[in-house]
Amino acid sequence: MTVAVGLHAVTKRFGDVVAVDAVDLEIADGEFFSLLGPSGCGKTTTLRMIAGLEFPTEGSIRIFDEEVALAPPNKRPVNTVFQSYALFPHMTVAENVGFGLAMRKVPDAELRRRVGEAIELVRLGGMENRRPTQLSGGQQQRVALARALVNRPKVLLLDEPLGALDLKLRQAMQVELKDIQREVGITFVYVTHDQEEALTMSDRIGVMDAGRLLQVGTAEDIYERPANRFVADFIGETNFLDGVIVAEGHVEIGAAHTVRARTGAPVGTAVTLMLRPEKIQLHHPDEVVDGRNRLEGTVRHRLYFGDSLYYEIELKSGDTIDVRVENVPSLPRWDPGQRVAVSFHHDAADALTE
Amino acid sequence: MTTTDERPTRVADPEFERKAERAEALRGFLQALPSYAYLVFFFAIPLVIVFVFSFASRSRTGRPVLSDWNLDSYAKLFQPIVAEIVARSLWLALLNTVLCLAIGYPFAYWLATRRSARYRAVLLVLVLIPFWSNFLVRTYAWRVLLGENGFVTEIGRALGLWDKLLFTQPAVFIGLLYGYLPFMVLPLYAALERMDWSLVEAARDLYASGWVAFRKVTLPLSKPGVIAGSILVFIPSLGAYVTPDILGGAKTTLLGNYIVRQFTAARNWPFGAALSFVVLVVMLIATIIYFRTDARTI
Ligand SMILES: Nc1ncnc2c1ncn2[C@@H]1O[C@H](COP(=O)(O)OP(=O)(O)OP(=O)(O)O)[C@@H](O)[C@H]1O
Ligand SMILES: [Mg+2]
Repeated sequence: MTVAVGLHAVTKRFGDVVAVDAVDLEIADGEFFSLLGPSGCGKTTTLRMIAGLEFPTEGSIRIFDEEVALAPPNKRPVNTVFQSYALFPHMTVAENVGFGLAMRKVPDAELRRRVGEAIELVRLGGMENRRPTQLSGGQQQRVALARALVNRPKVLLLDEPLGALDLKLRQAMQVELKDIQREVGITFVYVTHDQEEALTMSDRIGVMDAGRLLQVGTAEDIYERPANRFVADFIGETNFLDGVIVAEGHVEIGAAHTVRARTGAPVGTAVTLMLRPEKIQLHHPDEVVDGRNRLEGTVRHRLYFGDSLYYEIELKSGDTIDVRVENVPSLPRWDPGQRVAVSFHHDAADALTE
Repeated sequence: MTTTDERPTRVADPEFERKAERAEALRGFLQALPSYAYLVFFFAIPLVIVFVFSFASRSRTGRPVLSDWNLDSYAKLFQPIVAEIVARSLWLALLNTVLCLAIGYPFAYWLATRRSARYRAVLLVLVLIPFWSNFLVRTYAWRVLLGENGFVTEIGRALGLWDKLLFTQPAVFIGLLYGYLPFMVLPLYAALERMDWSLVEAARDLYASGWVAFRKVTLPLSKPGVIAGSILVFIPSLGAYVTPDILGGAKTTLLGNYIVRQFTAARNWPFGAALSFVVLVVMLIATIIYFRTDARTI
């Protein structure tokens, strides 16, 4: 694998605030990589350090094997799509898009051709002579994208580029961005705090919290096998049950309930059992469930979501868990107060030690 | 009494709309009435008086006579002495504007890029402190500084670079620079403080060096401040009266002093009026052209 961007022990402090804390990360050439995390976790700061708009307090940043940690932004083969777009208000669309090429003294004819191509790529033909203020949010977003892509950067950095768009446009642009990335084959480093966006678009995702990079992996890795409780909680919805390992692959939750779970932790370790609501099934209390973990409880609430139903189940141990059930005619509905059995496959239960 | 049923049924009733518009216009006029009255009494009427006097004639003792209307005063504008004074005033006003810009821009830039809002506020107050005392008093203070044994004079002598500057053109120039620098700094600061600095970062990201990013982004976007500051400095510098009167000598007569002299010692009100009026019109036209061309480039 060719490493497009390599961060090694990168730390950034603003006074007392540690915005980025000893981050190690390698992003492969051609990859669509997302940095995901809650507000203030250091995503933007990490991206800005790759762009050269911020310099790390410690650590090394390499772009295609060239050390750039302290290089100014204009000396790096990367371009940025800013969250607020940062289009030059005193220039036309074409002038905005051509800015980078003009700075690099690309000959006039080539500049015009490439600007035209970039504007076509983002489907803004006919708007070359407009000012940014005469464009809609979605169109401005495309100009920002074209302005960065036209330079054929080795790495494109995007800071919540769809954050200001409404839901419909956002979804359309997600598809379009992904298509464009495939078409140009450039490495994308994409910052977002929208987990759905990260899950659907990325080849790999890095989950951050409080300046630390907690886990790096594919969408599936992160959703199915979160490294710790924070990642499990941040991505999707999750039930957490406190427990302790009582035998290899066995977790005791509450008193006297033991379930099988995926774990490598030694006996005696305190763990948090993680269970996704959609991986749990509900049964009649008398029904026999083979080969699956089985617990008993009582329905407390039922929430109707159209395509699905959510049940809040109080287990015998006193814990409460959420169960998501597809709204299909073949499945029975359960009423609050009813006794039920819940079951789940042992592979769907992760015993987390952090 | 008519029935209450006769309300306009269509919202787009043209008659109704016209009435609403007229009421709106009347309300706007009434709201602005105090300002209109002020402008009429203190600007329009005095201007008309000046305009009328510029066509008047003089009695043998120099008293203005409101009969025998003529254009003599306007003809006198073409004397060489007028050209000389106008040229000197223009040169000084222009030089002052350029120097205020050269000093004011870096300062305003530095001020606007301080991170702490409180620090910025303190610095801004420092810029404004001179306004807490009277302009005349401050100009007299310069008389002490620039005069015999004054602080500035002592420095010049110690360095062997200059002697007493009071009553020379440089003294007038120092006075103007000192007096009008805040008028340059404030609009520049206002423009730069509003700057979206992410635009500069975008330019840097797009391969512009720091200097090029400044030239291509910061400078054009702060242009309204540059223009406002230049006008605020240039126009009063051109008509400056107090500074050249107090700090300048006989050889440094500027437009303002020349006009005042017509109304006082020279006892030539019509000529003073004509001179004032022409200066006013020229500056007005220049300003309008300046704004027009600028509206096209921004
Ligand atoms: N220039 C700065 N000076 C001081 N602190 C800063 C600066 N920039 C960022 N920080 C701090 O660093 C931390 C990380 O900020 P960052 O902007 O990277 O977060 P983020 O993950 O992008 O958040 P968001 O999703 O809200 O954009 C925050 O606590 C922030 O307050
Ligand atoms: Mg951010």
